[in-house]
Amino acid sequence: MSMVTAEHLHKVFGRFVAVWDATFSIDKGEIVGFLGPNGAGKTTTMKMLTGFMPPNAGTANIAGYDILDHPLEARRHIGYMPENVPLYDEMRVYEYLDYRARLKGITGSSVRQQIGYVIDQCGLEPKRSNLISTLSKGYRQRVGLADALLGDPDLLILDEPTNGLDPNQIRQIRELIRTLAENHTVILSTHILSEVEMICNKVIIIDQGKIKASDSPENLTRNMRAAGRVSVEFKGDLDLITKELESYAPVKKVIHEGTLPGGWHRLLVRAEPGTDTREKAAAILMSHGFPVRHIYRHIPKLEDVFVEMTRRD
Amino acid sequence: MENDARTIKRTRSYFATLRTIYAKELRSYLLTPFGWVILACTMGLQGFWLQTVLQIMSKATGEGVMYYILSNVTFWFFYIFIFPLITMRTFAEEERMGTLEGLLTAPVTTTQIVLGKYFAAYTFYLVLWMPMMLYPWISRLGNVYTSFKYGIDPEGVIVYRLADWYGAFSILAITGLFFIALGMACSATTRSQIIAGILSTCLMISYYFIGRVTELWGEFPAAPIFHYLSCTEHVSAFSRGLVDTRPLVLYVSLAILTLALTKRIVDYRRWRR
Repeated sequence: MSMVTAEHLHKVFGRFVAVWDATFSIDKGEIVGFLGPNGAGKTTTMKMLTGFMPPNAGTANIAGYDILDHPLEARRHIGYMPENVPLYDEMRVYEYLDYRARLKGITGSSVRQQIGYVIDQCGLEPKRSNLISTLSKGYRQRVGLADALLGDPDLLILDEPTNGLDPNQIRQIRELIRTLAENHTVILSTHILSEVEMICNKVIIIDQGKIKASDSPENLTRNMRAAGRVSVEFKGDLDLITKELESYAPVKKVIHEGTLPGGWHRLLVRAEPGTDTREKAAAILMSHGFPVRHIYRHIPKLEDVFVEMTRRD
Repeated sequence: MENDARTIKRTRSYFATLRTIYAKELRSYLLTPFGWVILACTMGLQGFWLQTVLQIMSKATGEGVMYYILSNVTFWFFYIFIFPLITMRTFAEEERMGTLEGLLTAPVTTTQIVLGKYFAAYTFYLVLWMPMMLYPWISRLGNVYTSFKYGIDPEGVIVYRLADWYGAFSILAITGLFFIALGMACSATTRSQIIAGILSTCLMISYYFIGRVTELWGEFPAAPIFHYLSCTEHVSAFSRGLVDTRPLVLYVSLAILTLALTKRIVDYRRWRR
């Protein structure tokens, strides 16, 4: 069942196109990473999904409710943590969560129960009666996350949840998101690609307001240009080996990257994505009796996908 | 810890949400230095002004003390500045801090937000006039003291009528309805409190001068409009104990219009942001 369906979302600020024709859908239970360079339209897309910023054209559907026709119903299903986590500095953590819980329509004994639950989940117990203005960045971030969790919404939209945290805090938040993902749908945006590789099972890459890709990280990396590359280091006749390797069908080009001390030649073999030329390369080198010390097939990373899709050259 | 969405008690009551916003806003007036600074300044000025009025009254006679307090340019001089002070933060501060985003992405309508903030600001405004509640009691005390010390008719010392006092209170409450709404509309147009404050001060002074147009131009065919709109004339009449329902209709309808405008401004700024 799909939790979010965005149809042809457009957002234009004057002459600046922030988001152009964004169409995607997110299934229940998925953890989706929004990737893109700064100013690509990630935050704008999220703001449109939450109903804060109405789209110029197109619409989106959250848990079966249209964000324009039934904004309140749609919002009831969303837990949103905005970028930079704006909070009321003059309130105490407990007060703030109480206010937010009541705004979200929680009443009676459930207010206490929910606050207790989110404080527990986000590790806010030691700071529950502190003024928000005295909290460190990491704790502010947690208060924002706690706010998003109030009322157990089906969909969590987290805009850069780990921005500005130290590595330990990042690890904690990541673990928390992973636990939440068991029974929530999560959309998060981040610059940290390794984070997405670790926790997301779907990636949406946005660049200059357009959606460039929307797929699982495995599928995205499978068809990468970098996927078929093999590095070889050997000693012997460079021209002969280059010629023989190039005559092998999946190989597109063989590049001599240089000669290392001791007469070792380093070659980069570019081949069709999804092929493995290691065996053939080894066989060729063996048939001539040349010594080999290194054959390596590049494993494409999300970073390669990201760079390939968003670079400007 | 167990957390099941189905067991959470929820309400969809319009007024429960409104009350939540109202309570939060009122708390932020009463639990921050901001509110207390306004309160202290207004009380100081009221005290100073009451003292001055008593001096004036020792020379002039005929009207009650509330009339002398309210129908004087000096009173308007500080009265006009109260509204920008109370209202300038309402939306501008939320927008600058970014907390408006959290508010507008909660399942809350813009109307609820505007009304919640409005009633909170209005309640705080009424709190500002609480010291005036003591005036009848103070003058009673003064009269008792005078009669005790000098043995003369206490009613003649401070000319005081409860009707004046009721009138003065109701006109302050009635004009506040509109002026608070006006200040909030200004605050909704900008993310800077200073600009919001300047804008609402300008509008407030303009409205004050509209009421004095007839004093400068004399009577002319359109003059009744200016008389009808004149807040100074309303205040003078009410503080003499002449309670009239026409100003009530005027200020209530202006307040409703301005609040509707405020809601529009908040929504519009969300659209074009």
